[in-house]
Amino acid sequence: MISITDDIIIRTVSRVLVPFIQIYALYVIMHGHYSPGGGFQGGVILGASFILYLITHGLKDAKKRISELKAGLFSSFGLLIYSGIGLLCLILGSNYLDYGRLSTILRVIPAQARSLGILGVEIGVGIAVMAVMFSIFFDISTGGVLPEDEEGLGVRDE
Amino acid sequence: MSNFLLFLGIGLFTLVFLCLYRGIFGPGILNRIAAISAIGTKTLVILLIMGFIYNRVDMFIDISMVYALLNFIGTITAAKYLEKEGEV
Repeated sequence: MISITDDIIIRTVSRVLVPFIQIYALYVIMHGHYSPGGGFQGGVILGASFILYLITHGLKDAKKRISELKAGLFSSFGLLIYSGIGLLCLILGSNYLDYGRLSTILRVIPAQARSLGILGVEIGVGIAVMAVMFSIFFDISTGGVLPEDEEGLGVRDE
Repeated sequence: MSNFLLFLGIGLFTLVFLCLYRGIFGPGILNRIAAISAIGTKTLVILLIMGFIYNRVDMFIDISMVYALLNFIGTITAAKYLEKEGEV
């Protein structure tokens, strides 16, 4: 089980740095179609910020911020945004993920509808990737046994 | 100017191999962590030099910033692994 670090320098630097990493991740997601990056890359950076928090502040504190259940819900929610936009295009009578047809409900020209559609898809991918990255790290670092499970199994907490 | 940047990049690229030697054969794990961190920093500068050579520095600065952040997190994780043996 990951515990909090004793070193005040690492704790303070990571606490200051985590919001900047998250802002930068949002920038990467939002500017995915102008510059390098996109949903997946921004999601990885966003997940890395949570992993940094987990490493430096311990498992117990990180579970208060984002628990295993919330991570699972967020990954499903991101996938729902992605497939929901795709299915919306399908319902409006076009191909799957063909954003041009979204112009009928967004009331903009098709070119702008394509831009907005791909932005929505990238936000969904970013949320899903962030939650899955955090969930994978969570599972690997605990070895699949969460602290509350250890109490139930009668394994003594260190 | 472009030639100067090119040779600067080649010089840094050869220095990466010296760090890599220390990373593979270095005595002790602390030398290895420091060597990998130095390689990450050199890669960042090489990426920026590439951006200046291709006149697309606005693109490459994004990539190099991500590289710096992930390098920092990697170093912290390796040091945390070292703090208590066998535990992240």
